[in-house]
Amino acid sequence: MDAETTPRLTLTVTPGSLSRFLPLLGQGFTVQRPAGASVEGFLCRACGIARDYLRERVQTVFLNGKAIDDLAAAMVNDGSTIALSAAMPGLAGAVLRKGGAYAAMRRQISHAGPGDSRAGGPVSVTIKLFNLVARELGPGFLEQGVLIHGASLQDFFRRQDRGFGKIGRAADIDGRPVDFEKVPEIIPGNRLVLLALRPAGPHPG
Amino acid sequence: MDKILRINMGAAGGPQVKSESVGSYAGLGGRALTSTIIAKEVPPLCHPLGEDNKLVIAPGLLSGSAAAMSGRISVGCKSPLTGGIKESNAGGMASQMLGRLGVAAIVLEGKPKEGMLYKLSISKDKVEIKPDNSLKMLGNYAVAEKMKAAHGDKVSCISIGQAGEMKLTGASIAFTDMEFRPTRHAGRGGVGAVMGSKGVKVIVVDDTGCPVRSPKDPGKFKEANQNWVAGLRKHAVTGQGLPTYGTNVLTNVINEAGAYPTKNFMWGRFDTCSKISGETQAETENARGGEGSATHGCHRGCVIRCSGTFYDKDGHYLTKQPEYETVWAHGGNCGIDDIDAIAMLDRLDDDFGLDTIEMGAAIGVAMEAGLIQFGDAQGAINLVKEVGQGTPLGRVLGSGAGLTGRVFGVERVPVVKNQALPAYDPRGIQGMGVTYATSTQGADHTAGYAVTANVLGVGGKVNPLKAEGQIELSRNLQIATTAIDATGMCLFIAFAILDQPETFQALLDLINAFTGAKMTGDDVTALGKNILKLEREFNHKAGFTKEQDRLPDFFKKEKLPPHNLTFLVKDSELDQVYNW
Repeated sequence: MDAETTPRLTLTVTPGSLSRFLPLLGQGFTVQRPAGASVEGFLCRACGIARDYLRERVQTVFLNGKAIDDLAAAMVNDGSTIALSAAMPGLAGAVLRKGGAYAAMRRQISHAGPGDSRAGGPVSVTIKLFNLVARELGPGFLEQGVLIHGASLQDFFRRQDRGFGKIGRAADIDGRPVDFEKVPEIIPGNRLVLLALRPAGPHPG
Repeated sequence: MDKILRINMGAAGGPQVKSESVGSYAGLGGRALTSTIIAKEVPPLCHPLGEDNKLVIAPGLLSGSAAAMSGRISVGCKSPLTGGIKESNAGGMASQMLGRLGVAAIVLEGKPKEGMLYKLSISKDKVEIKPDNSLKMLGNYAVAEKMKAAHGDKVSCISIGQAGEMKLTGASIAFTDMEFRPTRHAGRGGVGAVMGSKGVKVIVVDDTGCPVRSPKDPGKFKEANQNWVAGLRKHAVTGQGLPTYGTNVLTNVINEAGAYPTKNFMWGRFDTCSKISGETQAETENARGGEGSATHGCHRGCVIRCSGTFYDKDGHYLTKQPEYETVWAHGGNCGIDDIDAIAMLDRLDDDFGLDTIEMGAAIGVAMEAGLIQFGDAQGAINLVKEVGQGTPLGRVLGSGAGLTGRVFGVERVPVVKNQALPAYDPRGIQGMGVTYATSTQGADHTAGYAVTANVLGVGGKVNPLKAEGQIELSRNLQIATTAIDATGMCLFIAFAILDQPETFQALLDLINAFTGAKMTGDDVTALGKNILKLEREFNHKAGFTKEQDRLPDFFKKEKLPPHNLTFLVKDSELDQVYNW
């Protein structure tokens, strides 16, 4: 494992078990893209999320922990955190909705003003995907590969029940095969890891 | 539903049963009925555990019919926790069964001979109450098993655990679910203590031979019910979000907003909350119990199915899917991020008959006092077991966060009217704080839950992004919620009727076709206002003033990280909530 470059961990898992990794996306993963974009621009152009999906399915958006009502106005900066959720139940769900009828009830945690963003070099942004958004967008991100802190990944593996290893068909780090069960011992805990998942084909035989 | 069953527990010669016509209470159900009976028949200054208090158990207006989502049941009394009027509601099977039996309400009144414990049985042909001291100090699970052995599994049970028998003010009343497990609780306000004070351990409800209640206009009812179900199924919250993840889907979102009360309301974020999120919980349940384990209804006729089944690491049933409030109260609020430990705490609460919010809040206060450390999951389990055992410490904790704070000298005690706050910090979501402060029920997230204000047009349309308006919104929410509580409908219907006017119309059509009434949105509003007015008057006579409509001082003084907010709504504004 090169000490300088980001290690790429590729896991091949049994069909249907990719969802087991979705809670990881709620903790956040890092995306590096060019600067100078609104939240809407960043998510649609840089991350490839369809505009209609963002407008209709994604009902609550946070920028640095503050609920956004106008995605086209709020700007993304280096170190920003964006979190996406589908419609949520209860009063809290209604209150946190973008432009919802109860937005006044959380005005102290609403994102105020557009802020600014300098165009230029790449920015690192943390994306968090919650609930149905994770279920729908998560597999695409996981297959493409997401940057996750090694310590988070180690902790995730160690918390799983016995038998979790059975969903692993293969694992490699930078192309070098490793034992799926030993992944948490092998990956570095102090660096970002590029995690990519592959659904396995039908089991031979 | 044409009768009220009154059980006089203090009658000479032993408890007596009287069945009477609903009389002037006709047309009322759920919260409308419980609050009206309490307001009219209970002296507001009586001792909540004394002979003058009454415990009213009332199915909703549509319970027992084929209307989807109509299986909520209300429990009312003067609360031993708040000292004011109380309505606490639950799912489970009893509501539909009582509706089919034609029972609009069970009213437990008077006080039995000390030391006696009773079993009340209600069926089509008879109502009988018998002493049964073999049930003494049994948990709800053991009571359910005994009743199943005696009556079969087609009946349902309403019971109290050890906490109710000890008359602890955190005690709940349990209702069995479709699997005959005592997992559905009227949790808030110490209603279980009032049932304990009446000496009733369990009510067995048997609707054998009773048909589904017939609507006045079967054709219109059937059509409205179809539209109603279709509306619920097509909405993203009721058709997808809740069935997939349950209410705990809120953990990640509220945490991200910085409004997730952490370690007894010291912080607004819990760093490791993803370990106990709804997403993690659902994946865990499905992995252990098979796909679909995270999706289950709490009563027949539920089409949302926001519950689920939690299995331990060996795949054995442990408890039902813990709700968001439970996961928060025993989880983030106590610094615990172990989903298995939280599920165990939920199981113990259900078995001992305890309100999970009140217990989690009490343990959080005890942790702040240094009794155990924040994050000590096994320590929290041991404390709840002390409640079940009835040790002096357990009795303190089981009496709620307010008493625990007084006993241990803690200043940061998150209660309003002595009832613990639920899982949304009012410094983050300030409009929620308005409802916590002013609700007739004490701090209660469900008191202003029915997000229907702009649909009903109560108080006019509100501009969503206007800076002001929190008082109006809270008022409207409380009115709408109170009305829905009267129907026996689950509050989770609220989103679908907020977003889909045709679904709200289907609900009105459903009620009208069933009852023969011609209810409009305005009538729904009037119903909600009338109930709230009754409740406010009761509380006023019980000694409540506007000074009780306040959040604890620390919310105004201590800044909540990460947004560093205090509660900013002025007292004078809070006093305007009931000026309609």
